Amino acid sequence: MSSKERSTLSVGARTLSLSNLDKVLWPRDGYTKGDLIAYFRSVAPPAIAHLKDRPLTVQRYPNGIDGETFFEKQMPRGMPEWVERVTVPTPGGSRSEVTFPLCNDEPSLVYFANLAAIVLHVWTSCVPALDEPEFVLFDLDPGEKCTLKTLATVTLSIRDLLAEIGLKPLVKTTGGFGLHVVVPLAAGYSYETAKVFAEIVARHAAAGLGDLATLQRTIAKRPQTAVYIDYVQVGLGKTIVAPYSVRARDGAPVSTPLHWAEVEAFARRRSGVAPADEFAKLTIRTTPARVAREGDLWGPKSWKKQRLEGPSAKANRLWRERG
Amino acid sequence: MAHAIWSGAINFGLVTIPVKLFTAVKTDDLSFNLLHKTDEGRIKYERVCSVDGKPVPWDEIVKGYEYEKGQYVLLTDDDFAKVNPEATQSVDIVEFVELDKISPMFFDKPYYLEPTKQGRHAYALLREALAESNRVAIARVVIRTKEYIAAVKPIDGALVLELMHWANEIVASDTLELPDNEKLPEKEMQMARMLIDTMSVDEFEPEKFTNKYRDELLTMIEARAEGKELPKAKKAPARSKVVNLMDVLAKSLEESKSRRTAASAGNGKPAAAKRRKKTAA
Repeated sequence: MSSKERSTLSVGARTLSLSNLDKVLWPRDGYTKGDLIAYFRSVAPPAIAHLKDRPLTVQRYPNGIDGETFFEKQMPRGMPEWVERVTVPTPGGSRSEVTFPLCNDEPSLVYFANLAAIVLHVWTSCVPALDEPEFVLFDLDPGEKCTLKTLATVTLSIRDLLAEIGLKPLVKTTGGFGLHVVVPLAAGYSYETAKVFAEIVARHAAAGLGDLATLQRTIAKRPQTAVYIDYVQVGLGKTIVAPYSVRARDGAPVSTPLHWAEVEAFARRRSGVAPADEFAKLTIRTTPARVAREGDLWGPKSWKKQRLEGPSAKANRLWRERG
Repeated sequence: MAHAIWSGAINFGLVTIPVKLFTAVKTDDLSFNLLHKTDEGRIKYERVCSVDGKPVPWDEIVKGYEYEKGQYVLLTDDDFAKVNPEATQSVDIVEFVELDKISPMFFDKPYYLEPTKQGRHAYALLREALAESNRVAIARVVIRTKEYIAAVKPIDGALVLELMHWANEIVASDTLELPDNEKLPEKEMQMARMLIDTMSVDEFEPEKFTNKYRDELLTMIEARAEGKELPKAKKAPARSKVVNLMDVLAKSLEESKSRRTAASAGNGKPAAAKRRKKTAA
């Protein structure tokens, strides 16, 4: 097929018109837009489970990962009417409301892939309860010289603190260099609650980790060997890179849910290994087979919606004295 | 008041009013020097020729207008002098018009006009007559070597000279995709009106709005200049912080709980988002 050619593809009940499937998006890997679409189709069921009903912001790279990129912070112009959407009031914004797309089925996912939407960012809440966070989030961002071992140690320490007060978190790669740790929440909590809770855990963890972790928000002031524990990434309109989203980096890495045992293995690695070395193995080439083998590690079986009252009381009792 | 930046005269008809021009708006941005991080040396800009890569002294620099890609017409100071408007030092009033006939988009920068001793009477006359007729004067002004179009308006006892944009500087809005207002449901309009009413104030009080970014930046700079330790991004002892946060969390959980009770009693929907399968527009 020549690169300018359009082709049609039937996905479910929809027929989509696709363009430039041979367009190379990852020039050093040779992956094309067709490869991106094929990848998203191969992981469609779990990917959609985590995109469904969450307002979506896609990051498009029409000329590949070296070219210009733009965030589509509302539904793209000309979006087919069968792609679902949600209109959200934006108090204080320049417009009174914004309509976001929802990626609720495979045809919608293919539609966005065809727009060269490599990175899928979703809200931390879902329709209709957009003011209630779905999870407590710890965004663990290793400094430039931080090792995989350090990153894993910090991540496990947060897991253990959460376990100590009775919570079961899940973990995934961000697709970049870091890890996301989430505690799925039962309905009815506010962003404020999720944020304050995350801050308590983050501060307590950082206090026990010494040089390994930092809460410093200014990048220049962070020790390059430490992990930045970011606990403020949950909020109205805030987004997170969705599970199974691709990243615009060489190798086309994917944000991939992990087994805790995998993180434990990272913590035993020798210090020379950088997080990127390991996470580069999880790409649009390798993830489909992994998902077929392991299933969705963030699927309904492990995604246990948890309450915070008990754990908060426990944290108050255990951590107040220890400081 | 500060130094006059210009003195000249307002001319209309046979009347001449000698005036001085003063700045009416000062920008309040903090300015920074660029320094070399390692030794704090000031960063210098050098004019370097792109052909031979060498620095060029000012006397070898001319201005060029690119009339076609890579094709320049060179202009010297003499050339500019030939077409410069005569430095008339005057505000020549051309016509009068009602203020609301001028789109606010045209106004660029205001200056105060102050009469000299001899001009006080005529100044007062022009000011009162303008105020009474609800009109402003449109004038041609030359400041230094540039010609401007300007409006002369009476504001709070002063005549204000407001420089205006030329017609060709205003970008038309017809290239934007704007919604028309044909089918706005009355109910939604009512809600919008109500919202405006509840957020309305009698007077615009600009003092209410402060430049928080600037203030915080300045506080930081002042503290650093005095060698004080800055209010660190929460470096308070972890213990007391956690204790405070625990209380915040408890309160926040309590609020979530009452919210949940209210929602299940049907008193409120948890979110205000509407979901639609189709575009409304």
